Amino acid sequence: MTLSAILFSTMGLIAITMLATRFIGRNAGWLAATVLAFLAFSVVTRIPEIIEGTGSFSGLGVIEETTPWMPSLDISLGLRLDGLSALFLIIVLGVGALVMAYSARYMSERNVHPHTGYFAWMLLFAFAMTGLVLADDLILLFVFWELTTIASFFLINRSGDKASAPAVRTLLTTAMGGLALLFAVVLIVTRTGTTVVSEALVNDVWVEDQSFTASISVLVALAALTKSAQFPFHMWLPDAMVAPTPVSAYLHAAAMVKAGIYLLLLFSPALGGTLVWQSILITSGLITAVMGAIFAMRRFDLKEIMANSTISQLGLIVALIGVGTPSALATAALYTLAHALFKSSLFMVVGIIDRQAGTRDIRVLSGLWKTMPITLVTTVLAGLSMSGVFPMLGFISKEYLLGQMLGAGDSALIGVTLTAIAVFASSTTFAYTGRIILGAFTDYRGTNRDEHPEGHEMKEVVREAKPSFYGSALLPALIGLVLGPAIAVLYPLIGAAGSAAAGEIYKAKYALFGGFTIELALSTSIILLGLLAISQRRRLDNFFEGRILRFTAIEVVESIRLGAISIGERVGNPTRTDKPAQHLFAPWLIVGLVAVVGLLMAPSVGELVAPQEPWSDALWLGLLVVTVIPALITRSRLVALILVGGAGFIVALWFFALGAHDVGMTQLLVELLTVVALVLILRRLPSVFHTVGRSRQLLTGFLAVGVGVLATLVTFLFTGRREMSPVGQYFLDEAYNDTGGNNVVNTILVDYRALDTFGELTVIAVAGIVLIGILRSRFMLSEITPDMTKWSNSALARSVDNTLPVRMLARWAAPLIVLLSFHLFFRGHYEAGGGFIAALVGATGFGLAYLGASDDKKAPVAWPYRGLLASGVIVAVLSGIWGFAAGSFLKPIRFDIPLPWGGEYGFTSAMVFDLGVYLAVLAIIIALLNELGGVRQSEIEPISQAGPALIAESYHGLGDDPLVKDSVGATKATTPKKGGTK
Amino acid sequence: MSLALSVGLLAAAGVYLVLQRGMIRIILGFVLLTHSVNLLIIAAGGAARRDAPFIGGDTSMAADPLPQAFVLTAIVIAFAITVVLATLAVVGSKDDDTEEESEKTELDIENTSSDAGGDK
Repeated sequence: MTLSAILFSTMGLIAITMLATRFIGRNAGWLAATVLAFLAFSVVTRIPEIIEGTGSFSGLGVIEETTPWMPSLDISLGLRLDGLSALFLIIVLGVGALVMAYSARYMSERNVHPHTGYFAWMLLFAFAMTGLVLADDLILLFVFWELTTIASFFLINRSGDKASAPAVRTLLTTAMGGLALLFAVVLIVTRTGTTVVSEALVNDVWVEDQSFTASISVLVALAALTKSAQFPFHMWLPDAMVAPTPVSAYLHAAAMVKAGIYLLLLFSPALGGTLVWQSILITSGLITAVMGAIFAMRRFDLKEIMANSTISQLGLIVALIGVGTPSALATAALYTLAHALFKSSLFMVVGIIDRQAGTRDIRVLSGLWKTMPITLVTTVLAGLSMSGVFPMLGFISKEYLLGQMLGAGDSALIGVTLTAIAVFASSTTFAYTGRIILGAFTDYRGTNRDEHPEGHEMKEVVREAKPSFYGSALLPALIGLVLGPAIAVLYPLIGAAGSAAAGEIYKAKYALFGGFTIELALSTSIILLGLLAISQRRRLDNFFEGRILRFTAIEVVESIRLGAISIGERVGNPTRTDKPAQHLFAPWLIVGLVAVVGLLMAPSVGELVAPQEPWSDALWLGLLVVTVIPALITRSRLVALILVGGAGFIVALWFFALGAHDVGMTQLLVELLTVVALVLILRRLPSVFHTVGRSRQLLTGFLAVGVGVLATLVTFLFTGRREMSPVGQYFLDEAYNDTGGNNVVNTILVDYRALDTFGELTVIAVAGIVLIGILRSRFMLSEITPDMTKWSNSALARSVDNTLPVRMLARWAAPLIVLLSFHLFFRGHYEAGGGFIAALVGATGFGLAYLGASDDKKAPVAWPYRGLLASGVIVAVLSGIWGFAAGSFLKPIRFDIPLPWGGEYGFTSAMVFDLGVYLAVLAIIIALLNELGGVRQSEIEPISQAGPALIAESYHGLGDDPLVKDSVGATKATTPKKGGTK
Repeated sequence: MSLALSVGLLAAAGVYLVLQRGMIRIILGFVLLTHSVNLLIIAAGGAARRDAPFIGGDTSMAADPLPQAFVLTAIVIAFAITVVLATLAVVGSKDDDTEEESEKTELDIENTSSDAGGDK
């Protein structure tokens, strides 16, 4: 099979197994196991190719495949199979197959929830691991690395309420490592200029820049140590034992924790041998090895013993990688394989005991050696391999590990020290292996106190599991037994893995019995020490009973986590308010600071191009002063609105004066419609503003003047001091040739920068939807209708008559406005006009129609605005796709349409796009009139009939009065107390 | 200089209104700020050349079309934002006041303190 076929098979297997669980429930595990076993086998068949790559027995041969994935980002699906990845792939797929088969019997038999999610996440994890070890692209490597983290989080988290906190801790720890890896990847890619792993690792930079190598060493080590649960990041692994046993067997023994080992071995060619790398790995590894072993002596839950044993064993491997000679790296690879075999077997045994006996507490379990003989044999086989007893595979790997430790370092002292620590850890391993076997199968209770933990009861009748259940645990234990004497079978694979990790050809050769060497003496002493510990087990148990440290690692992590949250809370507190002023204060302060810094740092600003300005400029300024200043002082909402509207008109005049005709027209029309919109709002609000204290007025006034002065200075100093910008000149020179349009501004909008305009059109459509959404989901304030009773006999009360002039006006003006709107639309490309302006003009027609109506509900503006909003976007998208068909999204297509009265009209697909703009802009205004204007509310009981009392009540906030029904039956959850403006 | 002063005046007025009470004044302040920034962008194109940028005649004094295109877009988007803000002013059970009354403030303090207690 090709590598991508293997990778995508694991992906496809997720879906197939999920489907299968629907029909055959947990037995889908057999299906997944078969496929994974087949894939593992197909990897084995490709090993000869790797070895033949160099023609030697154990070479640096590789199989490489590259498929473009995201060409624009230069990320390719580069896959690579060398000795190292082959070894890990076989472990991942092989153990995966065993665990899947095991799950088919371990998981409960049920039909309602047939473990679909469990199998999906497990196989997603298998896919992620497959991708991780096959990836030859740094970014791909990172993506799969994170995917394993995510899969692990969900597998732990889905196993019940208690699992949530450990899952989060696991995620935080491993995700931190993921970030470190991301940093490393980014740094490597920038320095070496390639994302290909195999190329990046042989770059010269590793030798030339030692500080770079050192920093990458720290980052990669951080990633690997968190993933492989090494000190000081070890605590998540025992914590994660809340997950189901197959998950622990696969993720937390055989596969995910091995991802860290893989990463270390992968980077060894570049980072190996440096002081930082060696010291981190050896220190952390040996501390973990000893610590995990001691912790395993303290636990009573078989699974927790296994977890601590795992981190201890991984610690030895990590330290071995730190030693870094080719033979050490090869031995690390061998040890990884041996560990995967015995530890997956042991975890599965724990699950079997748990299932058959109902508990996994060694203080409760007793007498299983009589009833569960095959499980006992399995445990003993795997346990012997773990504690390094002749002739298991674990014996060879431990023997050679000790040998490597002895030879490590420049001075004999280092080697002896390392070896002594390893011997201590290994003797403890032997001791806790005895503890596991005696504890689980005999009546050894771990302490001389007759303690009986609550909630842990052994079943009265314990039977041996069925072969289909224990088979998957027995198989790896047997393989560990066979591979000891048959070690020669592994030479090619381990040699190739060692060569890949070392970056040079390495021929692996191991002997089951290599004569009477120091290593053999050490092995013997380990066994003797271990036996001594087992014989003194009661004393040791009492010794380990007490707490060693005054705090646990979990408590440390928890306090860090909670501390981070509370710091975040404190940082966020100033913004945790409903008062807009508090949110809006900071930006002005910052803008002010930026302006001050800008003014201070600015280079010389140059001369004004036109020092003389026309007299009219001063007039516009004067008009602005007389409209804006009163708007700040007045307490009447209506007056303020009129004055601000007036200021808007003067700004429009400014635009005209500055040659921005389109802008001026748009400003004029928008100002008009803004005033219309706000008037619709104002009639639901009290007539005067809320009062603001004197001190606040002064403070805000001070800030406002500051901002104003800075804005003036910045505008004066930094504008008007150069000629036309090159890009502006380009548009003036080339717009006609490029687009056929005369109106340069319009060509920029619809031809050159159509994507921007497309975004803007979307903003308008979204604003329309938000508007509708807000009004439909919450109560609108009631209208405050003036009390008309005292006017009832006067002319003011006769709305029908009073609106007559406007209706008369509208009758002949409406068609004209429609015509004008179309005219502006069609000429937009050539003269002032275009979709925006045309739509705004058209919208004023609707405004006129609304004003002319004698009653809100009779206004002829009830158009389907939601459809119009959508159609605006759709038309624009279609015109974009039309352009896409001709080359690129939104590319304008031009052709001339002969006119019936002679001549031609230069048509461009940009006009279709402009039509989209037209529709969206028109729609939002119709939406506004309908939603806020009361047109839509025809079903509501008219407020004016309910009398002044109700009006007063509504004003005070009784919005949920039964009389005021929401016409669309929106949720009535908004009560005055809970809802409101909060 | 008039243009610069106009930008400054509008900015100052906008900032002042935005920091007052009530949604309507915030909206009006926002509108004025929009004007200020739009004028600034046009000013960035230069105020010396004041002919409309149409092709066909003499373009030697035509204004820079690029800022105009930006501002045109900005005006319409600002309008969309204004409309959404205006909608927010008339929903809920109170008027457009953006600050709580004194009794509500006490309630608020209680809430915050109980929140903090809940986290421990």
